[in-house]
Amino acid sequence: MNRSYLFIPGDVPRMLQMLDVFDADAVIIDFEDAVALNQKDEARFLTRNFIQTHPPKAIEVYIRINHIIDDPKETMKDLEMIIDLPISGIVAPKINRLSLAKLDRYFEEKTSPLKIIGLVETPDVFFDLMTLAQHPRIQGLMLGAEDLTRIMNIERNLTGDNILWARSSIVYAMHSVSKEAIDTPYTVIHDHQGLAKDATIAANLGFTGKAVIHPNHVEGVHLAFTPTEHQILTAKKIVEYAKKNQSIRFNLDGKMVDKPIIDKAHALLEKYAKNGDKS
Amino acid sequence: MIIVGTLESSDCLITIIPAETLIIEVDSIVYDAFGQQICHVIKHTLAKANITKAHIICQDKGALDYTIKARLETAIARYQEEGF
Amino acid sequence: MIVYDSVDILLNDLKLSDGMQLSFHHHLRDGDHVINQIMNAVNTRDIHDLRLHPSSIFPSYTAILEALKRNRISQLTTSYMNGPVAEYCMKHPLKHGLHMQTHGGRARAIMTEETVIDIAFIAAPTVDVLGNATGTIGPAACGSLGYAIADAKYAKTVILVTDNIIDHIENPQIKKDTVSAILKLKSIGDPKGIISGTTTITNDPVGIQIAKKATRLIEALGYIKPGFSFQTGAGGISLKISENIKQLMQQNNIQSSFITGGITQYHVEMLNLGMVKSLYDVQCFDLVAVDSLKNNPKHRSMSAHEYANPENPNRVIKNLDVVVLGATEIDLDFNVNVTTDSYNMIIGGSGGHSDTAEDAKLSIIVAPLIKARTPIIKQRVNTITTPGHTIDCFVCERGIAVNPRRQDLIKILEKSHVSIIPIEDLLALSHDYTGIPESFPSKKEVIGNVYDRHGRIIDYLYLKE
Repeated sequence: MNRSYLFIPGDVPRMLQMLDVFDADAVIIDFEDAVALNQKDEARFLTRNFIQTHPPKAIEVYIRINHIIDDPKETMKDLEMIIDLPISGIVAPKINRLSLAKLDRYFEEKTSPLKIIGLVETPDVFFDLMTLAQHPRIQGLMLGAEDLTRIMNIERNLTGDNILWARSSIVYAMHSVSKEAIDTPYTVIHDHQGLAKDATIAANLGFTGKAVIHPNHVEGVHLAFTPTEHQILTAKKIVEYAKKNQSIRFNLDGKMVDKPIIDKAHALLEKYAKNGDKS
Repeated sequence: MIIVGTLESSDCLITIIPAETLIIEVDSIVYDAFGQQICHVIKHTLAKANITKAHIICQDKGALDYTIKARLETAIARYQEEGF
Repeated sequence: MIVYDSVDILLNDLKLSDGMQLSFHHHLRDGDHVINQIMNAVNTRDIHDLRLHPSSIFPSYTAILEALKRNRISQLTTSYMNGPVAEYCMKHPLKHGLHMQTHGGRARAIMTEETVIDIAFIAAPTVDVLGNATGTIGPAACGSLGYAIADAKYAKTVILVTDNIIDHIENPQIKKDTVSAILKLKSIGDPKGIISGTTTITNDPVGIQIAKKATRLIEALGYIKPGFSFQTGAGGISLKISENIKQLMQQNNIQSSFITGGITQYHVEMLNLGMVKSLYDVQCFDLVAVDSLKNNPKHRSMSAHEYANPENPNRVIKNLDVVVLGATEIDLDFNVNVTTDSYNMIIGGSGGHSDTAEDAKLSIIVAPLIKARTPIIKQRVNTITTPGHTIDCFVCERGIAVNPRRQDLIKILEKSHVSIIPIEDLLALSHDYTGIPESFPSKKEVIGNVYDRHGRIIDYLYLKE
């Protein structure tokens, strides 16, 4: 479960060669929206050469390809150039049953282990979420609120009240299959307070991570998706008490603790241990 | 004429012009330290693509080898696609 | 006090002649009009073998370039130089060489009379009729005049150059006792050029990453505690570290004792918030700092002697806890170069770099590991500005290296969440990206010396071919 997915443009060497220095848990090299139509080939050659020369070590790398239905020609070129690279998977824009099936067939033919993170950014796909979530090729689903609100002709706002249903739908679908639910990025670059608010909303709703469009946002997102010191201390207390007293139901500081709460404390400590040394 | 890349920091601009012989021009902000290495990458990449006749100009702003190779490969692909 | 309004008449009266030692200061930075007006007048005279002691040389000091071309100058001694004068000097050797000092070393040399200055031309934003001077007011106000104080006290002849004469100055930075005359010009400087080009907090993600790592290092080493002192200078990354430290102090309700060195609006803000007790200001980097120095008694100007003279037992930086400094190159022995680039061109100089590195309890170098394919770590730096035994840590975007001489720091960090990496590994890592650079320009003809603050030669400058 990655807390952050940092987008890096696929055709800017200065950014590409720095992709592992921003402490993001995962990066998404972008061939789609960040790259102009007449520069798609530049992004493909550049990214391929970079990954081959500097295979990613302590970071998961994904590539956002173009859209397999809307733009099959560019997308097939994308796939051919990345299929044998040592990356974790691809991010597929405007995911739906048809595009997932096409991409999965391509990967099956090539016996590729690459995973797919689907970008949920059209209204119709919300009624297929469970089918997508259950697909073995799918590692997670990511909300793309910019495209979604544009299509639906509604405003994007900081409270996110008008995308609450969209957010929660993805969270519930993904939690039911124990896969990643990744929130839409916060797009105001210099507004770190807004970022903190937005990321906290996402973490509270149950997202496992958040897309990030600027390196300076990684720390803020991690902060929201990392348990607070108080939460960690409480979890430690619960786990220790349960172990010491061999008990699964007890009263701790006036609060009732039972098995689900003990399990939750274990999970929290496990997650913290994994990310504890990074911020 | 084909132009690929940019003149931003850590990038390079590759130009290919049809020519009767192989001409390679390198202009780099790190020429003293990496000029030979840049020329080597360009020659190697051209040889792999069987390019023996062309005028190649590389304006380098501190690109790493992978970038020079990638920009040149892109340029060669476009060059060949346009039927030079 | 005699007031001249003509440079030529003044130079006649001063009997300016061959071999004289002239000094200037650089508080008006790239907006200085004094050096050019004096040197333009010098250039029209048939004078040779002048020895110049400007505390720094900026790109706009073009009359020095003209003087060099007309063979007026045989020796240049300074603490920092870049631009056309620097370029010319590296290609055209001076008869008596180019001498690069530290800020503290310059004050020491003048006060021990190792350097004897015949005439000090001191740009003074406001002068009173008695010959007292201050930098805090006037059309070309620049704040502190810290680098000119030793010149004002020890030069044989002291000329205040001003464009603003008033009746009385309350707390002069330069006192009338040693002043010989005043030269009144139409303008001594352009306030816009007085502001340093680098005094904004970086927004560059790589710079922010370096700042984050450096802040954690300082925190893990236990320096951020009540009463600590620090100096970060005015570089974008350094200022980001200041901002991070400020946040940590606010979170933990910590007040620091003093901030020293070049002062910016960000440091003034901390003073105004009560987060630091005093600012000791040798040089104002922006107009907010100038204003604060004028109005806030807790914001004090100091001379280079009070700041960094190694022979002054009460120098401010002797009590400095943490200093954050930049680098053009650093080597495996932690020697740092901020004087030349890797191609043998002079692009700066120590300023207070090696003074503060030697005195501060913790000296940290911050810089990107690779800048447009040029790795910052070398086997050996092109020029030693600051010796490695005075540098404790190097922080770049890909890791933190600690000088093996500081086993005490390494032990503390082993028990912290901050991981460190040998500097040799960082060098190898940078070469993984850049490849190994070919050998650099040969060093044949020595054209100058680099001195440490004690006046010892620690390296040489070579002709750029």
